[in-house]
Amino acid sequence: MSAPARLDAAASPGGRQRSRADVVINLIVVLAVLAAIVVGLSTHRFATVANAKAIITSAGLVGIAALGLTLITIGGSAVSLAIAPTVAAVGMMFLSAQSLGLVPALAIALLCGVVITGVQGAVVGYAAANPVVLTIAASFAITGLAIGISGGASVAPTGSGYDRLNATPGGVALSVYVLIVLALAVEWTLRRTGFGRSLYLIGANRPAARAAGLPVGRTTAVAWLGAGALFAVTAAFTAAFNTSANVNLGGTLTFDAIAAVLAGGTSIAGGRGSALRTLAGAVLIAGVSDILLLRGYSTGVQIMVKGLIVLFVVVIVHLRTKGSRA
Amino acid sequence: MSARRLGQPEVLLPTAAAGVTVTAFALLPAYTDAGLSSFDVYNTFQIFARLGLLALALGLTMIAGEFDLSVVGTYALGGMLTVQAGQEHYAYGLLAAVAAGAAIGLVQGGLIAGLKLPSMPVTLATYIALLGLTSALSGGLTKTYSNASVTLWVDRTVLTYFSPRSLITLGLFVLAAVVLSLTRWGRELRAIGGDRRASRVAGVRVDRLLVGTFVASGVLSALGGSLLSFSLGSANPDPGVQPLIVAAAAALLGGVSLTGGRGNPLGLLGGIMAVALLTEIVTVAALPAYVTQLFFAGLLGIIVVIDAPDLHSALVRQRTRLRAGTSRPSPAGAQPGNQT
Repeated sequence: MSAPARLDAAASPGGRQRSRADVVINLIVVLAVLAAIVVGLSTHRFATVANAKAIITSAGLVGIAALGLTLITIGGSAVSLAIAPTVAAVGMMFLSAQSLGLVPALAIALLCGVVITGVQGAVVGYAAANPVVLTIAASFAITGLAIGISGGASVAPTGSGYDRLNATPGGVALSVYVLIVLALAVEWTLRRTGFGRSLYLIGANRPAARAAGLPVGRTTAVAWLGAGALFAVTAAFTAAFNTSANVNLGGTLTFDAIAAVLAGGTSIAGGRGSALRTLAGAVLIAGVSDILLLRGYSTGVQIMVKGLIVLFVVVIVHLRTKGSRA
Repeated sequence: MSARRLGQPEVLLPTAAAGVTVTAFALLPAYTDAGLSSFDVYNTFQIFARLGLLALALGLTMIAGEFDLSVVGTYALGGMLTVQAGQEHYAYGLLAAVAAGAAIGLVQGGLIAGLKLPSMPVTLATYIALLGLTSALSGGLTKTYSNASVTLWVDRTVLTYFSPRSLITLGLFVLAAVVLSLTRWGRELRAIGGDRRASRVAGVRVDRLLVGTFVASGVLSALGGSLLSFSLGSANPDPGVQPLIVAAAAALLGGVSLTGGRGNPLGLLGGIMAVALLTEIVTVAALPAYVTQLFFAGLLGIIVVIDAPDLHSALVRQRTRLRAGTSRPSPAGAQPGNQT
């Protein structure tokens, strides 16, 4: 569907019109950023060190999950709508495995996340199943299984090892450091390894990647495995922070992660984007949420604004992509 | 109906799905201790009324080769507006919901057709924004509808098996079927889903038709939400993912493909009836809620995998290879039929 669109764009407008349109788009982006900064600075208690810490702490958890989603999106599998249920299910496993000690519990959580998400990735990679509809089904299945096994009750930790994840070295949550390390690791994998380059190619043009002999199915499945591991890390931190876990542990994480990835400017069509962009997107979304919270808006308004930001960025990224290819 | 026509997926799938579920429903007393009464049939139509319009809305956009994730958001918003604007008179609520649905469809269709954006990210963003808006309108709380006479009216029994609500839903399905089969819109809708560039060249007004489809999708989802609010006497700001799952499963069972260009409203009717019958069977058999959830997730998962293009082409390749041993491959076998 997008191929004819690009051709149309390339054929119709002249070069000068194109560049003028680009200037307008850039102007809109700059104005939007300036408006956000002005609103932020005029908000009481926004520009304080304590608030900055609050923003990066809340960006931490969403950011790690969003890094996982970045792998999925760059590989051309659009988005997973099963992030929150996966995080909830893995968080429940993590807390109930606490009696074994922190490291074995983390290993179990990682294994769980990798298996749950990897199975979906294998289906998407090898059969080219529609990832959005498949993950909707998966989210339902995961929640159903979690309720069936737990009986719908909250899981309490069976040990206290998890508390080490709540450490705040230097006054900043441990998850923030983990996010930064993981973002650099994912960025390095995407830029410097054969896997990363294949992933960009597959995301940009799946048939061409297949024709070039790239292992499309395997690469996609591996990207989802990585995403599953990152969801599991998010789950461990979220569960440790809440000290109990039920099927609602994920909350609005699915939407938050999608918002972070898309707000960072990663194209949902695949083949473009980076881990560092997602990092910026996560901070942006956390910052906007924080402004709305400080100004006393409800959760509903916060979610609505996230949706509108995603819509705005999707339109802008699409227009810019068209411009650069014309 | 010739055997060839019956073999087409958009006829075969809904017929088979409806046939199997009707049989399973009729034989229900044979394998559970529950007996069947006319109430069970009435109830099946009530389930159909709850989700039918959502499935129709999603199905229409899928025929056009798009996927409107925002239907559940519009559904929630429509229900909430109905309750909040319709306290005085139900018509105000209905009007507010339909107007909101049309406006949402217009904006989304305009963006998707005008800027040639893919529908998935646009409708995903709208879905998030609409859930937020609905929650902001209600303060995150379930709102009750005080006009009890409307609530009683929409669910009263008509002709033993129906209620005004299920009849309205059924009527809208028939209307959609008549409009799409008697006018050229039906053919054009499938054409833009199958090959958009070719249909543009052939003179189909693609943009206008796309905007119209999204407006129809918005209005139908909002109406679905309104009817549900009237029936429940309340509106819930977050319907969860279940309606989306059921609507997607119904549309796919109804012979619509995720790649577009296939399906019709009567097939969608067959698909949603199959899903409604399944839900009623699960209810009568008194299975725990999570089993039902797993069941529907499994159903949708299987359909999506069957619908997956690479699986198709792999099977076609396999068949071609087998046939090539004995004779020349047929033209149909030589070209894997997917456009991705």
